[in-house]
Amino acid sequence: MHDITLIQGILLVVLAIIVGLDAWLEGFFIFRPIIVSTVVGFILGDVKLGIICGGLTELAFAGLTPAGGTQPPNPVLAGIMTPVLAYTAGVDEKTAIGLALPFSFLMQYILLFYYSSFSVFMVKADKYAKEANTGAFARLNILMLIIVAATNGLVVFLSAYVAQTPMRNLVESMPEWLTHGFGVAGGILPAVGFALLLRVMMKKELVPFFIVGFVFASFIPYSNLLPVAVIGAALALYDYFNNQKKQTFAPSTPDGGVDYSDGI
Amino acid sequence: MTESKRVLTKKDITKLAFRSLFLQASFNYERMQAGGWLWSMLPALKKIHKDDKKALSESMEDNLEFINTHPNLVGFLMGLLLSLEENKEDRNLIKSLKVALFAPLAGIGDAIFWFTILPIVAGISASFAMQGSIVGPLIFLAVYIGIFVLRIVWTHMGYELGTNAVEKIKTSSQSISKSASILGSTVIGGLIAAYVHITVLSEVKINKEHAVNLQTDFFDKVFPNILPLGFTLLMFYFLKKKKASPVLLIAVTFGIAILFSALGVL
Repeated sequence: MHDITLIQGILLVVLAIIVGLDAWLEGFFIFRPIIVSTVVGFILGDVKLGIICGGLTELAFAGLTPAGGTQPPNPVLAGIMTPVLAYTAGVDEKTAIGLALPFSFLMQYILLFYYSSFSVFMVKADKYAKEANTGAFARLNILMLIIVAATNGLVVFLSAYVAQTPMRNLVESMPEWLTHGFGVAGGILPAVGFALLLRVMMKKELVPFFIVGFVFASFIPYSNLLPVAVIGAALALYDYFNNQKKQTFAPSTPDGGVDYSDGI
Repeated sequence: MTESKRVLTKKDITKLAFRSLFLQASFNYERMQAGGWLWSMLPALKKIHKDDKKALSESMEDNLEFINTHPNLVGFLMGLLLSLEENKEDRNLIKSLKVALFAPLAGIGDAIFWFTILPIVAGISASFAMQGSIVGPLIFLAVYIGIFVLRIVWTHMGYELGTNAVEKIKTSSQSISKSASILGSTVIGGLIAAYVHITVLSEVKINKEHAVNLQTDFFDKVFPNILPLGFTLLMFYFLKKKKASPVLLIAVTFGIAILFSALGVL
């Protein structure tokens, strides 16, 4: 049983901000528990405890990936809270992983909320793009990074230093419909993004290909879209060769190309 | 002739590889990585378009459309598209190529990095760490720093590929542009099926023993993913015909999701 000093609390916050940003960006992968817990061990003065917690937590989290769009329990909070709980409560490392899970879930819910609500910033982004206002556009991105960094710091400060028990109670009291609702929203929101994409890209003559892609992906559920792209590439090549053939026989427009705007 | 158009140096491309770190800076469910994608490329785009505000704004708008690809491989796509942008290729061609390529690249990246490298590296380094050995975290760190440095390689590769193909693309620009839109449209269709998830949980009770699950017994039997397609087209309709603002659509979608979750429908 140990207490965490204010200095240690502050160092944990600094760590949380750095690795929290790394996790958001998926940059250097220093956000994985095996690295985070080790550093926490350094901060708490028990490196070995940190490394062991890191190894165990990393294994527990290796299968939980954000690939395919589902957000797993947050690895940063797991990496920080597992050694913190093992250190402060004196429980063994495996028990600490379980005790750290509510904190992981809390951060996961917060990030899900950000993933949904940050969509709103895109309206501002569109405006800056239209005005070619590069400075404001950069600041908008930085603002979001600051929100994420500050949130990581704050949650870790509260969870590790100020109020472990109330934080855990908070997660346990969260209604299921709300947390589930964030997930549902995350599943539907890409529809708006695709609708915007369709607005700029879709032309009548492209609709058949759109349908082929949709039907193919629906009936051959596969973990990635490579097969769809291959079908698309085949159709594109077919069209390309047809055009080349036409070009050799038909008189071409002065600039050497065929004008499709007339419709063929 | 081609050389004269080059404004980006090798150094710019290397810098781009490092800036690709920002890909997910403004990640959100509506546009996913679009904001960070544009932010990463902004210095290069500014250098290409210089004082041409109109061209820069067009390019920024195009690059702010939905994109979701793999952070470790994104440099390849950035390099490739910037080489076309640098040659002032047709905007539609660049846009279509982007749409056509980002999703397959994401699939390849997920398979390599999340499903192959991470489990292997995590497994090996964790086995050291669980015995309390610092070797575990160090192996992990070394591998991932290596993977990050490789971003420089992918980015240069994409840029070179694009630059070398540019002459070929120029001569049959319109055929290629049309082919690219075909590929892009096919992939968008697939994207909707893969990324938009709507699962109805409601059941209709017929009698005491039997209930019809709306999703598995009805929608999935009628046509898989009919709801995601329907909702996307509905959003498309509101955007195009009703000129609805995206922010309103996002807010309404979010509200519907929470409400229907509370009612137990979704």
